[in-house]
Amino acid sequence: MNEQPLLSLDGLTKRYGAVLAVCDVQADIRRGELVSFVGPSGCGKTTLLRIVGGFVRPTAGRVILDGEDISSLPPNQRATAMVFQNYALFPHLTVAENVGYGLTIRRRPAAEVGRRVEELLSLVQLQGFGHRRPAQLSGGQQQRVALARALSLQPKVLLLDEPLSNLDANLRVQMRTEITRLQRELNQTIVFVTHDQEEAMSISDRIMVMDRGRILQGGIPAEIYERPASRFVARFVGAANFLDGTLGNGIPGRTSIATKLGTLIVEKVSSGLTTGDRVAVLLRPEAIRLGPPDGHSEPNRLLGTITHAMYTGALIRYTVKVGDTPLTVDLSDPRHTPAFHRGDRVGLRLPSDPHLLPPDSAADANGS
Amino acid sequence: MATTLSLEHPTAHTRRGGQAAARLLPAALACLLVAWLAVFIAYPALAVLLRSLSTKVGGFTLAHYQSFFAKGYFLRSLLNTLILGATVTGLCLSLGFAVAYLVARGPRPLRLPLRVLTLAPLIAPPYLFGLALIILAGRRGVLAQLLDMRIPLYGWLGVILSQVLSLLPVAFLMIENVLASLDPSIEDSACDLGADEPTLLRTVILPLASPGLLKAGLLTFGLSIADFGNPALLGGGLSFLAPDAYLMVTGEWNMEMASVLSVILLVPTLGIFLVQHYWLKGKTYTTVGGHATAAEPRGIGGGLLTALLTPSLVFGALVVGSYGVIALGAVTKLVGIDNTPTMQHFASMAGFDAIWTSFQVSLTAGLAAAMVGTGLAYLCMRTEVRLRGLLELTTLIGFALPGTVMGIGYILAFNSPPLYLTGTLAILILNMIARFLAVGLEAGVSKLYQIDVGIEEASADLGAGLLTTFRRITLPLMSSAFAAGFLFTFMQSMISLSAAIFLVAPGNLLASVYIFNRARDGDMGIACATSLLLILSLAACLAGLAVLARRTGIRMSAAHT
Repeated sequence: MNEQPLLSLDGLTKRYGAVLAVCDVQADIRRGELVSFVGPSGCGKTTLLRIVGGFVRPTAGRVILDGEDISSLPPNQRATAMVFQNYALFPHLTVAENVGYGLTIRRRPAAEVGRRVEELLSLVQLQGFGHRRPAQLSGGQQQRVALARALSLQPKVLLLDEPLSNLDANLRVQMRTEITRLQRELNQTIVFVTHDQEEAMSISDRIMVMDRGRILQGGIPAEIYERPASRFVARFVGAANFLDGTLGNGIPGRTSIATKLGTLIVEKVSSGLTTGDRVAVLLRPEAIRLGPPDGHSEPNRLLGTITHAMYTGALIRYTVKVGDTPLTVDLSDPRHTPAFHRGDRVGLRLPSDPHLLPPDSAADANGS
Repeated sequence: MATTLSLEHPTAHTRRGGQAAARLLPAALACLLVAWLAVFIAYPALAVLLRSLSTKVGGFTLAHYQSFFAKGYFLRSLLNTLILGATVTGLCLSLGFAVAYLVARGPRPLRLPLRVLTLAPLIAPPYLFGLALIILAGRRGVLAQLLDMRIPLYGWLGVILSQVLSLLPVAFLMIENVLASLDPSIEDSACDLGADEPTLLRTVILPLASPGLLKAGLLTFGLSIADFGNPALLGGGLSFLAPDAYLMVTGEWNMEMASVLSVILLVPTLGIFLVQHYWLKGKTYTTVGGHATAAEPRGIGGGLLTALLTPSLVFGALVVGSYGVIALGAVTKLVGIDNTPTMQHFASMAGFDAIWTSFQVSLTAGLAAAMVGTGLAYLCMRTEVRLRGLLELTTLIGFALPGTVMGIGYILAFNSPPLYLTGTLAILILNMIARFLAVGLEAGVSKLYQIDVGIEEASADLGAGLLTTFRRITLPLMSSAFAAGFLFTFMQSMISLSAAIFLVAPGNLLASVYIFNRARDGDMGIACATSLLLILSLAACLAGLAVLARRTGIRMSAAHT
């Protein structure tokens, strides 16, 4: 990262009495980047966003925007703009007055305000809605007004606090596209807060997974999904099976891992691990292949029994019992592959390049 | 309620009996209540109207109105009353907003003390501040004696000041409610867009609060023009409608002119009532959102903080000063003139008797009003009785009518057979019930809106009859509405003066009337001593009720006005 970050969160901590809402958060956000903070409710992500917006004073740490320490500035003096979860539109003002509010109270000439409002409304595809009241708009339209209003002052950073959680499923997906379009068109830096990992993965350049006030892991979506740093992160961003095991002897390219389901041969392990180390093997449901049972006992092949099948359209999610261990396995494109039924014996093929996690770490004790 | 109990005989629990009861009982109860409301609210109000339009022998005439409008004196009374109402309303709204804003958004350590100070006048008779101001700043008052300050208290200054002191809590409570219903994230978003605190107030908070402020203003105005005690004590040479009506009754026994004054007083009151219930309905912005964000005080800036805090502190100082001077007046010979400590003002038993009578009347009225009010609410909301509009309207009229009007109406209505009630405790109790019934009804209605019908249906589904469902399910759920109705009626009955002063008889003086009479006669020591006793017993009652509420788990929220 040779470029100077636009927004730096430097050791941010917020304490409410005995509760640590945000704990030593460190993050850099580049110009034009969309970074999501995700985590279960109560993980501190909204508090963090409110610290950046200036609504919450951090107990410790600094917010640095464009090289300037803005930690002690009130919200009305920050070049950030927030879109609130419930949109927080002014119910007594029209859509145009809402969008133009920031400009009007800065006493910009009416003509300029009018022009800018028109521009913003067309940016969010609400031309002709200027004279309406917020109450006369649908949830999605209100959302767009809130976006236009937040963009009106050309903020350096746009802060989005669970902006899609009040919309129905289809609209939510549509608004994701909308937000990424705005990000590209305006080269707008966006900090996005959500509890929905799928939402975060689909629109973010980078994701920060949070729990109990801390950032557990940050990175591009694929990295977080494929190489999570802990079981908590692995579970939070998707369904996961874990197999505890011990590293056996390996030759380059082939390392064995002894698990209770048998020996697993993997191609590559990260350099820090040596023989005898305990690990947890992460097996994503879609990485396990299902097939008819075959008698051979090859490495990475297991036999199991289907105990549950859940049809979701795009895929069928099975629970397969191998010995006493239930594994979640997805079968994609169910139309073109023969489906299995409850009670069927099936063969499973485990991937030879699974991600290895440290065994139950202290941080995971409660999370998983 | 006696009918209810007798019908709960086991046979009523059989399916057919239950169904019959479900149809007949509500109808019978509704008829009873309609009759009751007609006799004790509509009839006295109509009696006032009729008397103002009738000749001595019972014919129709407009002569009384002609003489009202012909006499400059009465027109001046009307004008004075309206000016007083407008001024006091303006002051109460500004001051109430300042305090409510500080309590809601101001520096944390200030919030509770300010709130307690502002609500403190609620446990005193409304004219107590008039009394305190006389002792403090009257012609022979403390300030005149000690500092040789001559304050033109009698007249506008005194009446306005004492009314603001006694009415501010009402305005404050309503404005506080309005501010609490504003979504904090709307304010956050205005700040986010660059608004500073004054801009935020001007462009967002005041516009959003304005329907609520208007409501608070209308109520304050109505209470101000109906107030009898403060203008009577401090009016000096100024005349006002409510005291004039009292003088017409007690001085001249001119019931016709008293009725005319009542009707004139009624016009703005009814106007307010109509505006509130038809025009303002549904005009409030309830913006409060689903999830509450941890709102940190934004830190109201220096200039604004000073502007809001200064008047609030002046008000607080006046409240403390008033209570202080009443307490001092009770335990000194003549505060400011002869400051010798004495208990002589407590020697007369009349004060104790009056408080005891007040307590009995208020307790009975409170229980009855709460019971009838919540019962009415149930009838309106949960049975097929199609009289909801009429029932609600009648009780609200009873609530909205100025006490003076209800007092005069009761004299006119119940001074002859078949309902000859003058001079009894019953007339006082019935009057209080009729005037404050609406609070229990409204609390009950809003509670029943919140209680899912499904809960009751589930009970009925399990085989419970209407009565059993009501007793086992609805009644416990409605206990908080009952408590609100009781608390409000009890408190108001203990301290209100304007209707009671027409209805008391020598044998059954109420404390509020007794204290007022002593104050008017210049017996400041006894007035103070009895006030102190009344305030202390009210505080004790409230504390006792709070303990009771905690024991029984009933939420006894502050009485709504």
